[in-house]
Amino acid sequence: MPIEIPKDKWPGSVREITLGATAADGGTRTSTVTVGGEKALPYMHFEAQMPHKPVIALEIRDRLPDDWSTLLLEHWGDTAKDPAAWAKAAEATGVELLQLTLSLTDADGNPNTPENAVAVVKSVLAATGLPLLVFGTGQAEMDNVLLVAVAEATQGERLVLGICEDKNYRTIVAAAMANGHLVNGRTPMDVNLSKQLNILISDMGLPMDRILMDPTTGALGYGIEYGFSVMERLRMAALQGDSMTQQPMLVTPGFEAWKTKESKVGKDVPAEWGDWLKRAIHWETMTATALIESGADIVVLRHPESVKRIRVAIDELSAVPEMA
Amino acid sequence: MYIIGENIHIISPKVKDALRAKDASFFQELAIKQAEAGASCLDLNLGPRKKDWEEVFPWMVKTVEAVSDLPLCFDSTNLLGIEAGLKSVTKAQPIINSTSAEAERLANVPPLAKKYNARLIALTMGKSGIPVSADERVNIALEILIPRALELDFPISDLIIDPLVLTVSGCQEYCPELIEAVRTIQYAWDPPPPISVGLSNVSNAVPHKNRPIINQVYCAMLMGAGLNMMIADPLDQGLMETIRILEERDESSNAGQLYLKIHDRVAAMEEPQFEDVDMSDPEQAAIWKTVQILYNKVIYADSYLEQAAV
Repeated sequence: MPIEIPKDKWPGSVREITLGATAADGGTRTSTVTVGGEKALPYMHFEAQMPHKPVIALEIRDRLPDDWSTLLLEHWGDTAKDPAAWAKAAEATGVELLQLTLSLTDADGNPNTPENAVAVVKSVLAATGLPLLVFGTGQAEMDNVLLVAVAEATQGERLVLGICEDKNYRTIVAAAMANGHLVNGRTPMDVNLSKQLNILISDMGLPMDRILMDPTTGALGYGIEYGFSVMERLRMAALQGDSMTQQPMLVTPGFEAWKTKESKVGKDVPAEWGDWLKRAIHWETMTATALIESGADIVVLRHPESVKRIRVAIDELSAVPEMA
Repeated sequence: MYIIGENIHIISPKVKDALRAKDASFFQELAIKQAEAGASCLDLNLGPRKKDWEEVFPWMVKTVEAVSDLPLCFDSTNLLGIEAGLKSVTKAQPIINSTSAEAERLANVPPLAKKYNARLIALTMGKSGIPVSADERVNIALEILIPRALELDFPISDLIIDPLVLTVSGCQEYCPELIEAVRTIQYAWDPPPPISVGLSNVSNAVPHKNRPIINQVYCAMLMGAGLNMMIADPLDQGLMETIRILEERDESSNAGQLYLKIHDRVAAMEEPQFEDVDMSDPEQAAIWKTVQILYNKVIYADSYLEQAAV
């Protein structure tokens, strides 16, 4: 007897968003990336084809980070001392996007400056043709100064500027709006706040096809199940037709996983935890895989080995099985 | 609707100041105002009063009873304070607010209610917190709260089950479940135990301007499910008007007709339908959007009323 597989037909879909602009569209990127467009829950290929696979970004910094695991610093070596070189090396791993995070201070502890931020962003744009996400330091006043300068100096590139939060989004959104960029909004693991921030950003007049959302996820063992549920709920609302939840989701499993003790610490941990590097890569990979399965459109990673593994996971999940 | 007036509450800075100053006339005015507005009972939430309970609880009873015959509802975690208050009551049968299904509360609070012939609000909340699903909340009433009352020979008609309203801003998935809990608990005993909820909890953490409509729409839904007792603000004229419309089945206004439809749909175990609503009427559109968030159909956001209906 033939078995009929029940299929959901959803009235809504996720917005399609294109990152980066080539010369033809007023930018300098050699390629662009389009995400979103889903019409069904993740990888339910029998219900609706996914128009775009999730994409991978690697995170780089404007200078050698002070707070990264030595495993990451050892891997990148001297490359991490020069953002342009780092960007090139990151591009060589086959990622589709780069996320450049600005630091609060220089190596000597002096505050970062708009001039420096612009110079670094320009050097990265010159070194690679990939679309770029530029994230601030996480400190509102500093971010507003740095990101406005960056936005103006890179007009038309369709960068993603982050991070917009409910307490600090106006200046960044205005800068994106005036200079042809996109924004990333981050909210602390709460569906209501995610939706509200999308509303607030769109109320300023930024078109919805220039807004990504990061619902914050936690890492494996550190609340990822809450993050998973929030993403799932947001995606279901999007498919049900709730316009203010239909943004593609950007998540940062690299940031989340590499701040856990399991990844960060190699000494004085139980012997049964095993090899440190293996464990750290597993942590980043497992975190990212769970998020991809809950609907992430962009995953930002830190270690190239994780990039390789997540690439395999995405390809396998995206392969449409032959239906009997 | 039996309304337990919630306005004497320590969370209000005015109440706090008046209590510190032992300003009897402040509390007497607030009691009279609530009674005149239609309260059937007065909640007294004075906080735990760990240091001065012996004096404060009897003082408040004496102060309020001097101007009102309404029953008093002692809303505190301090059982010694509640007992001091109960001892001072000279008028109507009081209410204790509340016990939960946690062993320690259940061991101590119901005997106190029994001893002083007080009614008792019992929360469907165990030691692991408030369950989401209606069934689990009903089970707590059925398997823990009612048996405990029977064990003490405490009249079920004095056991007021509170299945717990949580806010739509953050606990949205609880909102539709509570409606079903209210409906089902009525079948938990014969005759049904009284059921009460703290209505305004549904709009905790919601911007001030949106609280009234959320409270009113939820009230209509809960009345449809059979709710006839709640802790609420009797001075909220919009809420009192909604209750009046529903009780008198006043179809003279468009919004009133919609409230009645929502009430009747819930009563018939149906969900309100889009065709019940004239979306060209802003008031009705706002009510519909509120129904959608309270049924957890559309994710709540502070600006939900400004968004296009889904």
